[in-house]
Amino acid sequence: MDHFPTNWGRPRNDTIDPYGTYPIHQRPKDAFSTGIQRTQHPIVTGTSVLAIKFKDGVMMAADNLASYGSLARFRDIQRLHPVGDNTVIGAGGDMSDFQYLQSILDELMVDEFCASDGHTLGPAEVHNYLSELMYARRSKMDPLWNSLLVGGFKDGKRFLAYVDLLGTTYASSTLATGYGAYIAQPLLRRAVEGNEDTLTKEEARKILEQSMQVLFYRDARSIDQFQIATVTAAGVHISEARKLETSWSFAEGIRGYGAQTQ
Amino acid sequence: MEHSFASPSGHPQPHQRHFNPYSENGGTILAIAGANFSVIAGDTRQSEGYSIQTRYAPKVFRLTDKAVLATNGFAADGNMFVKKVRQRLEWYRHAHSKDMPIRAIARLIQTMLYARRFFPYYVYNILGGIEEDGSGAVYSFDPVGSYEREACRAAGAAQSLVQPFLDNQIYFKNQTPAHGTSHPAHLPLDHVLELVIDSFTSATERHIEVGDGLEIYVVLAKGSTPQVLDRWQGVTEMTTTQDGERMFVIRRNLKRD
Amino acid sequence: MNTLVQRFSTTSAQSEINKAKALAADDQDFDDFAWGSEAGFGTIAKGVPTFSLPAVPDPRAFLRLHTDDHADPNCRIKIQHGTTTLAFRFKGGVIVAVDSRATAGSYIASGTVKKVIEINPYLLGTMAGGAADCQFWETYLGMHCRLHELRNRERISVSAASKYLSNLVYNYKGMGLSMGTMICGWDKTGPSVFYVDSDGTRLKGNLFSVGSGSTHAYGVLDQGYHWDLSDEDAQELGRRSIYAAGHRDAYSGNTCNLYHIKEDGWHFIGNYDISKMHYEGPGNVPGSENVGYGYDVRVVGRSSANPPPSAPTPVVAA
Repeated sequence: MDHFPTNWGRPRNDTIDPYGTYPIHQRPKDAFSTGIQRTQHPIVTGTSVLAIKFKDGVMMAADNLASYGSLARFRDIQRLHPVGDNTVIGAGGDMSDFQYLQSILDELMVDEFCASDGHTLGPAEVHNYLSELMYARRSKMDPLWNSLLVGGFKDGKRFLAYVDLLGTTYASSTLATGYGAYIAQPLLRRAVEGNEDTLTKEEARKILEQSMQVLFYRDARSIDQFQIATVTAAGVHISEARKLETSWSFAEGIRGYGAQTQ
Repeated sequence: MEHSFASPSGHPQPHQRHFNPYSENGGTILAIAGANFSVIAGDTRQSEGYSIQTRYAPKVFRLTDKAVLATNGFAADGNMFVKKVRQRLEWYRHAHSKDMPIRAIARLIQTMLYARRFFPYYVYNILGGIEEDGSGAVYSFDPVGSYEREACRAAGAAQSLVQPFLDNQIYFKNQTPAHGTSHPAHLPLDHVLELVIDSFTSATERHIEVGDGLEIYVVLAKGSTPQVLDRWQGVTEMTTTQDGERMFVIRRNLKRD
Repeated sequence: MNTLVQRFSTTSAQSEINKAKALAADDQDFDDFAWGSEAGFGTIAKGVPTFSLPAVPDPRAFLRLHTDDHADPNCRIKIQHGTTTLAFRFKGGVIVAVDSRATAGSYIASGTVKKVIEINPYLLGTMAGGAADCQFWETYLGMHCRLHELRNRERISVSAASKYLSNLVYNYKGMGLSMGTMICGWDKTGPSVFYVDSDGTRLKGNLFSVGSGSTHAYGVLDQGYHWDLSDEDAQELGRRSIYAAGHRDAYSGNTCNLYHIKEDGWHFIGNYDISKMHYEGPGNVPGSENVGYGYDVRVVGRSSANPPPSAPTPVVAA
């Protein structure tokens, strides 16, 4: 017992046992007895996902790169995944965990289809399912290392929300994960907030393309090839992979850092 | 759920050391009890670090016709905790065909929080509502379930800004009444609402994690008249039953910078 | 080899943790009983409390990482603590006196905490250490004291009640519970006080003080204590001791709650503001001279700033 008064009411620290009072079976274990334990961390990773609401639905963008550390390992990975006819999810973070999620969601949609009870899962249901799943895994201290955007359009309503490895959720008319939360989110907010009901499909695509371009200029884990998913009353459409138009001529004018020193 | 996520051996193995299952999402909540009403409020900003995740994420939740729960801390824990409390209240309704009284909800919340004593919910809860005797009540909790009935309580990011203000304006701490007068034991509703709004506008000015929107729930005891609320704009009635307690929400904008 | 022994042994602390983990895994599925009145019981819906544990190699280290603001002031979950509590036995029963401050880090989380837990009309418990630990386990103890009454048709003795509590918390030894409590009451043997803490220590005694302000309280208590104290003097000693701790210990203060346990059960004597006791005294209560406990009264007349009350107030020339 620690009888020093100011230590009262605090969790005890079993690594210090000044009086040798603890039973031997509770003594801290030596490093070998518990064997090897690995820290779980993401291996093959995707970077930002961007999404906005527009007049007719929701639009989402993600590039096609899956990195292995700083290596641009897989350059043709699709990070947008349709779930049923009304929903699309986009994933950043660990790609193998994302593939596991895809298989779970696909199976879920098959089960729902087989129930043939006249109900289909919309974006709100898929998002809620994912948030329960992600929170359950974090509570097991075995998270699925992703940040996900869920977008969709069902029964005349747009839906756009976020969920991540901790189970944290939120909804907003513009969302961005990873680096995008710092670089693209301000651009998206300026372009979209207040204009959700007037933006056309073309304008929305333009906004996302510009944001992807800015991200590609600054995010070292991004690539200049991306896809855009559009969910409207007509259903989910995921575009072919497209190249970003980039221009590096501005680099000539940069002074003060980099190759040029004057 | 269809899928099982246990490890293949079936024996739950310890996993890793460096994953931190907690985060902190800012914001502030506050509740004040009056003689026959209770006011429970929270801002709607959700943030992590310096990033604002969304400008509208409710932190105050209706539990029953006479009980409202405000949560603050780690948003995922908070939302999941509210979900579980609501589930238990629904079971209670099915078993007893009435709503659980608020003092019982308070004890339920204690046992639910304490069940996670060794893996705590990182959530500060404030429960507000109307007691069975018709008095306004506020119960405040720490993350592992110790609780206390109080007249007012602020929690969250700006608790250290707001609570001293409430101590002064509601408990009249460090105030001496004018000669021959005394401090009132309970404040009237519109005065309390003014204090709540002032608390949040001031906290918005001085704390980066507070702002965007304000949701104020007002629960009135049976038989009390809501005429005071006519003076207030943006009031929505949430009452679902007749001749019971009445519940209102007042929504306000806070500065978004 | 150690790992193997730990995994399959049925007596080690590790196996207890494994059992708790198995229970925790089940805690999500409530069966039919959850629809009945048991649904209100939270952790104890199954009759015994069940706790979920984090799936990490060392749950204790996990808890310390996130809740020990002594080791790391930036830890997120701050559990309320800091206290002065005291209880003593004398010919007239038991005096229980506590302060009312709860601190989380350096923030005063509350100044109105009830640190005396009314277990039943004859038993009081005090709260020092984790507020939730004391509240929860002493409430749980209250349930079992009632069950004891129903089974045995007589009240539980203070000794048995305190042993029940110490056995309960001993099951969780080393897992981070933190409580230092005095179980006080009047039973067949007369007044008695037992000290119980979260390590399983259980001590019978005449006089205890627990908490960060206990040393200050002991100072006053020890010099004023006598078995033959009158009721009024005993109550005054309790008040005066908590005042001393509230005055000198930063983690104690706000108000003092005073209880007196007699043969017919406990009585709440009063709530006293500690600042007020310093300047004006506890008010017109039995046992008190109704002057401030502060030393202002003891230096009256020593300086012009502190004239005796009878001295004529200097008249300022108009």
